[in-house]
Amino acid sequence: MTTVIEVNGLTKKFGRFTAVDNASFRVEKDRIYGLLGRNGAGKTTIMQLLTGQLFATAGSISVFGETPVENADVLGNICFIKESQLYPEDFRPRHVFASAPWFFPNWDADLAERLIADFRVPVNRRIKKLSRGQVSAVGVIVGLASRAPLTFFDEPYLGLDAVARQIFYDRLLEDFSEHPRTVILSTHLIDEVSNLLEHVFVIEEGRIIVDAESEDLRGAATTVAGTKGAVDAFVAGREVIAREAIGGLATATVGPLSAVDRSAASAAGLELSPVSLQQLIVRKTTAAPTEFEQSA
Amino acid sequence: MTAMTITPSRSRSQGDSLKRIVAVTRLHFVNRFATFWLPSMILGFILLLNIAIWYLILAATAGVDRAQTEKGFSYSGAVFYIFIYMLIVAVQAISRTFPFALGYGVTRRNFWLGSSIAFGLIAVAFSALLTVLSLIEGWTNGWGVGGHMFAPSYIDAGPWYLRFVLYLLTFLFFLFFGSAAAAVYVRWRSTGMIAFFAAIALIIVGAIALITLTHSWVAVGTWFVTSGPLGVAAWSLVVTFVSAVAGYFILRRATPKN
Repeated sequence: MTTVIEVNGLTKKFGRFTAVDNASFRVEKDRIYGLLGRNGAGKTTIMQLLTGQLFATAGSISVFGETPVENADVLGNICFIKESQLYPEDFRPRHVFASAPWFFPNWDADLAERLIADFRVPVNRRIKKLSRGQVSAVGVIVGLASRAPLTFFDEPYLGLDAVARQIFYDRLLEDFSEHPRTVILSTHLIDEVSNLLEHVFVIEEGRIIVDAESEDLRGAATTVAGTKGAVDAFVAGREVIAREAIGGLATATVGPLSAVDRSAASAAGLELSPVSLQQLIVRKTTAAPTEFEQSA
Repeated sequence: MTAMTITPSRSRSQGDSLKRIVAVTRLHFVNRFATFWLPSMILGFILLLNIAIWYLILAATAGVDRAQTEKGFSYSGAVFYIFIYMLIVAVQAISRTFPFALGYGVTRRNFWLGSSIAFGLIAVAFSALLTVLSLIEGWTNGWGVGGHMFAPSYIDAGPWYLRFVLYLLTFLFFLFFGSAAAAVYVRWRSTGMIAFFAAIALIIVGAIALITLTHSWVAVGTWFVTSGPLGVAAWSLVVTFVSAVAGYFILRRATPKN
């Protein structure tokens, strides 16, 4: 596999605030990555660092084997679609679609046309008069039709309805299979994109806390539910990701279970259910295991 | 994975850089309405309004010495608006188009170079327009009413190409000064703006103080008269050049925020 991005010990500080804290990771060519985490976790900052928009405080970033900062050869292969993208004053979507091909040599005009129709973007209306979802659609269209070897989508679908989001996922997968490229997507809507993502980074308070194949993550956790005593006995000695108790009942999220574990659990009268990617991440990024114990 | 293999699927060539610079230049012109048609339309409207007013004055002062009245028409600052318009064009080019272009994978360097070419083209185009209009103004005897909007008396003297150069220098001044000021804003936000205007205020007050204390106002006046409008405009090149170079270095380390 070819490495497209390699980051070592990356740190970004804004004054006393550490937005990215000693992050190290690697991105391989022609795969779809998810950058997941809560608001303010540092997702946008990492993307801005990788695209040379921000300057790192410490650590190294290598994109296509070189530093991205002010590097025309590297940046020429990058398309960065931001949720909060600022457009030039009085721009209309047609201005965006007219100018984008000058910057992206792989621009596919037919695909852009099709997407404009799919998302029903009013190309002649001023961007500042568009709805939030329509503005997002403009960004998504540029991101897909640019076919940049390295494409970043930072929360690309704010305000897009469920239908439009599904169109985005479908078109991304379709086009990706015909024109493989490296895509990094940051999002809150984890379950919606979990089938799309091949690899997941979870970032929490500037640190990468999960760096794993999504395949591995899907079976990585199981929720065990039952009476408090049975749950406690079962999870004893295991890694507990989260634990909740209400009265005499409890649920606990634990790491991977073997077949033996599973039969032991059912023998103890416990219910097992798989944990979705979203639930797993919510549990991993919520500070401490919560306890809602009630004195019965 | 052992030894890292980095074989980027991308091309690298000398012509690439120029292509990207030109793309930035074109980006500034993709919305031609805002850059060319709107200011031209406003200019036309102001001209019509001026002609109407000159005509009304002539009608109202009928019987009075016409030459004397027309002399009053030879001063007009109406054309000044278009320089301010271009100042705003430059400010928006940096504050809005810069963060947008970075998302397209443009380097700050290429953005500044491409924008500078765009500013140059705007300056040439509008200087040509104003010069042509000043010639028409001459041929039609001031739009038929003896008015002077494009060749007010203080730049009327001299051949048309000197007028063109005068306009060109003025446009360049406003475009590059505006873009440098906007670069300060993009880099340091409101703190930068406050410091920037404080610095300019200090420079102006300092200059006034220096001239006053050294009793040099007469010398300054003489300098303006002997230099002539073209000489004064030529000195603006110093500020224009400093703005262009400073703007480049300021933007070089600027980070887009939203």
